Amino acid sequence: MKTKLKGISYSKYGYLFSIPFVVAFLIFTLYPTIYTATLGFTDCRGVINDNYHFLEHPFENFKEILKNDSFRVSLKNTIGIWIANFIPQISIALLLTAWFTSHSNEIRGKGFFKVVFYMPNIITAATVAILFHSLFNYPVGPVNDILVSSGLRDSSYYFFTNKMASRLIVAFIQFWTWYGNTMIVLISGVLGISPDIYEAAEIDGANGVQTFFRITIPNLKTVLLYTLITSLVGGLNMFDIPYLFLSGGPDRATLTTSVFIYNLAFSGNYIYNRAAAASMLMWLLIAFFSAILFYIMRDKDQIKIDKEIKRAKKEAKRAAKGGVNQWQL
Amino acid sequence: MKKALSVISAIALLASSVAATGCSKKDEATTKDGKTIINLWTFTDEVPGMVKKFMSTHPDFAAKYEVKETIIPTTDGNYQPALDKALQAGGKDAPDFFCAEAAFVLKYTQGDMSSYAAPYKDLGIDVDKEIKDADIAQYSVDIGTNPSGDVVGLGYQATGGAFIYRRSVAKAAFGSDDPATVSAKIGGGSGSWDKFFEAAAELKKKGFGIVSGDGDIWHAVENSSDKGWLDGDKLYIDPKREEFLDLSKELKDNGYHNDTEDWQDAWFADMKGEGDKEVLGFFGPAWLINYTIAKNCGSWVDTGEKDADGNAIQELDTSIGTWGDWAVCEPPIGFFWGGTWLLANKDSKNKDAVGQIIDWITLDCTKDGLQYMWANGTLNGEGGTKDSVASGTVMAMSDGSLDFLGGQNMFDVFVPANQYANGKNLTQYDEKINQKWRGQVRQYTAGNKSREDAIKDFKQEVADELDIH
Amino acid sequence: MAVVNKKASSYAFKIFAYAFCILLTVLSIFPFVIMIVNATRNTAEIQSHAVSFIPGHNFKTNWNILMGRGFNPLVGFKNSLIVSVGSTACNVYFSTMTAFALVAYDWKLRKPFFTVIMAVLMIPAQVTSIGFYSLMYKIGWTNSFLPLILPTIAAPTTVFFMRQYMIPSLPMEILQSARIDGAGEFRIFNQIVLPMMKPAMATQAIFCFVTSWNQLFMPQILITKPELRTMPMMVSLLNGDAYKTEYGSVYLGLLLTVIPILIAYFLLSKYIIEGVALGGVKG
Repeated sequence: MKTKLKGISYSKYGYLFSIPFVVAFLIFTLYPTIYTATLGFTDCRGVINDNYHFLEHPFENFKEILKNDSFRVSLKNTIGIWIANFIPQISIALLLTAWFTSHSNEIRGKGFFKVVFYMPNIITAATVAILFHSLFNYPVGPVNDILVSSGLRDSSYYFFTNKMASRLIVAFIQFWTWYGNTMIVLISGVLGISPDIYEAAEIDGANGVQTFFRITIPNLKTVLLYTLITSLVGGLNMFDIPYLFLSGGPDRATLTTSVFIYNLAFSGNYIYNRAAAASMLMWLLIAFFSAILFYIMRDKDQIKIDKEIKRAKKEAKRAAKGGVNQWQL
Repeated sequence: MKKALSVISAIALLASSVAATGCSKKDEATTKDGKTIINLWTFTDEVPGMVKKFMSTHPDFAAKYEVKETIIPTTDGNYQPALDKALQAGGKDAPDFFCAEAAFVLKYTQGDMSSYAAPYKDLGIDVDKEIKDADIAQYSVDIGTNPSGDVVGLGYQATGGAFIYRRSVAKAAFGSDDPATVSAKIGGGSGSWDKFFEAAAELKKKGFGIVSGDGDIWHAVENSSDKGWLDGDKLYIDPKREEFLDLSKELKDNGYHNDTEDWQDAWFADMKGEGDKEVLGFFGPAWLINYTIAKNCGSWVDTGEKDADGNAIQELDTSIGTWGDWAVCEPPIGFFWGGTWLLANKDSKNKDAVGQIIDWITLDCTKDGLQYMWANGTLNGEGGTKDSVASGTVMAMSDGSLDFLGGQNMFDVFVPANQYANGKNLTQYDEKINQKWRGQVRQYTAGNKSREDAIKDFKQEVADELDIH
Repeated sequence: MAVVNKKASSYAFKIFAYAFCILLTVLSIFPFVIMIVNATRNTAEIQSHAVSFIPGHNFKTNWNILMGRGFNPLVGFKNSLIVSVGSTACNVYFSTMTAFALVAYDWKLRKPFFTVIMAVLMIPAQVTSIGFYSLMYKIGWTNSFLPLILPTIAAPTTVFFMRQYMIPSLPMEILQSARIDGAGEFRIFNQIVLPMMKPAMATQAIFCFVTSWNQLFMPQILITKPELRTMPMMVSLLNGDAYKTEYGSVYLGLLLTVIPILIAYFLLSKYIIEGVALGGVKG
């Protein structure tokens, strides 16, 4: 009986259940993706672009992109802004998660806080860009008004001509938009951890900090991986805010790779082939970093599982040999 | 169970939307009562409003045709991609006629998409004669002429620019607010900025600024250059445009302006005279006066009462703000700023009908044409906003006097201004290139980089993103 | 001693935590306050001081302008609702199903399939959009909600999340016992697995709903008929040229757009806060 249940006969359901995804994927994602990918090897450009040919030197577009100064600048910006955004984001999200799922220290009103912290994620990027632009406006704007009237500065500061300030503001906006989202994802992951473990820990006298680092985080590994990967992908593909806030300025300070690609493809000369090549390059980069993340996170899982499998096998052998003795005790 | 219900409802919704689309596919390009549908693509409700007026004044036409509008604003950058795709895809949803703004009109009249524009003469319009009769501003014709020499687009406004100044500031600084005097002071019609800066120094001594920010002189600088950004297919920086670096720096270093950025809070504050220092004036076309400065002059007060529909009633309190304290005079350098052109789709099946509408809007210089109504603000009854229009003939018989300008007739200045505007030094890439140029100028003016670096970085950016070297 | 210290440090901790959370609350709420205030001011007021906490008197005026510009909130709301609910349902349901396929069954193509899903997740969205809307024009799916809803059946991010969530928490024993009881796989999925995934599904449902509701680019390119406009499209109509934008009405429109999202969020967040403990593994 048991062999029938463990049998391969159920594996066909794996295929069956995947069919909707595959069909939708083939129609809606695969065609556009391949279309774009092939463009990277052609000379396709211009608004009317039906007549294009494959290049003699297939990788010419890729070489041009790598040589392109603005692309390099955008890459540096993208990574820099992402790091400046992500580190506070994950730290605060983890902190809030710890507080709001803590069994030892109840924070009242956490339902309210959870709702409120997610709210920045609801507003469209366009609106957020306008609002923040108004906030930091020069020579008159709320932030400048505060700076001047409180005496911190004698005159208004032109944030938008300062490259580092602009980058930091963009990083802050990204952080502000997404920290609630990350927090919610982590909390829902924690809710999936069986409360028995927490009860046992409390009986053992673990405090909040210990509980968090020894129990919550290890059990959150899988969801954490999700957060890290989606943040990486989202970060390296950052488009909305850099584009809408300062259009990649000042002086390319907030130009991210996605904005660069968009400009190549849609404004001005419609250079689709280079844009496609740049997209492919970014994709490779993201895949590379993601693989690293997977590797970092996967190893420990494997080791655990492998250990457990070994242990189980040993137990089984021991039980088979002298199991009767154990019961006698 | 809940999930199953939601799945079922989702499928039901899908089914109903499929049904909905299925039905519409069977539609011909006619409405239920047999009228032919004409598709208009635009980005504001300005032209649809005109079309409504056309329909109400041409009942025969309205009996046979119905105009369906697709409005996609340009602000999120979605108008052009959608328009381009619709033109290329063709079919019954494609536009029969469409609008293009000054920032990108060249792409459709002379550039990559110009093959889709129908020459006006194919629409049944006797273009050359009508342009002469209506005395259309030359720059508008230049912009709307395709490489084969046919007119494919015309604008309904004329957006030639003048210098719009505060009477009180002029009186305090120059002793007179008379347009001729002020114009002479700033070098009106001279084609050079020299006198302008002399006036700026004079104003500075009395504690005034001459303009609000460097953006105010940019349009004049841009449009007065001899050549555009492209020489053949190479990037070309016209010396007059390069001069903007120095002009902007001079304005900033000497404190001749309030260092504002156009369309930001502080720029509007200067229209009320509430900026750091009071500013002499702005450069702009007629629409700047009525749509921007008049609305932001600070003289509008909430009465606290509401009308029948609940709209807040505002009244004019001329004791505050700057209403009536303005006038216009000839600028040192002629320019144009903005405007909307109307184009027809070469593949349209309703060319004749479209031609009638376009003719009424852009070329009809009688009192029944749109031009006259637009100029005198009578499109929706009396007392509407006046604007300068493309037809010089209409302008000559219209009254552009505004209370806001202390009774001055603005057409006296704007009609000649339209002649100075240059429609020959533009490229289809201007929107993007200008954005980069002004960005670099701002960096140089702010003192963040040298003049050479600003130019070098500008060239780099244009090469990198537009592949123009 | 230890108890007293614990109480004191717990007290201090709570003060710090509350202060921090209140700070974040202010930070997170202020744009909404600004939007509400600006919905009551007129364009000129907003143009001179974009950010203000002092309300104006122009709420009804802005409302009239909003209605006058062909902004029919009921139509826009209905359209947005169809698209968003449809997308969310498709997205969450099919992604959970696909994740289930990846986790519960051992099949040959399992790992490669997951790798492909991850690969798709990493593609930058802007550029595939050209190919996407070219395709939609070719097959004539413009002015239809289908191209906005159906593609969400293949949602790599959601699949990834559900898989990560399922790996530690999917109780294989329960599935086995259900099989022994004679339940079919599909029934097991719908009646046993789905209820257990509620917090995860609710989380992704919120994200998907918000993303879909706020979506502007694709709808604007694919939908041109006024009666099919979604709410964000209607609000963007208020953005005329720079000199004619009615800012007060824009903010009012934006507020109206946000309210349904808040309602959906409150409804769905019950599932997250409530937290279905995966009691299945107990005992």
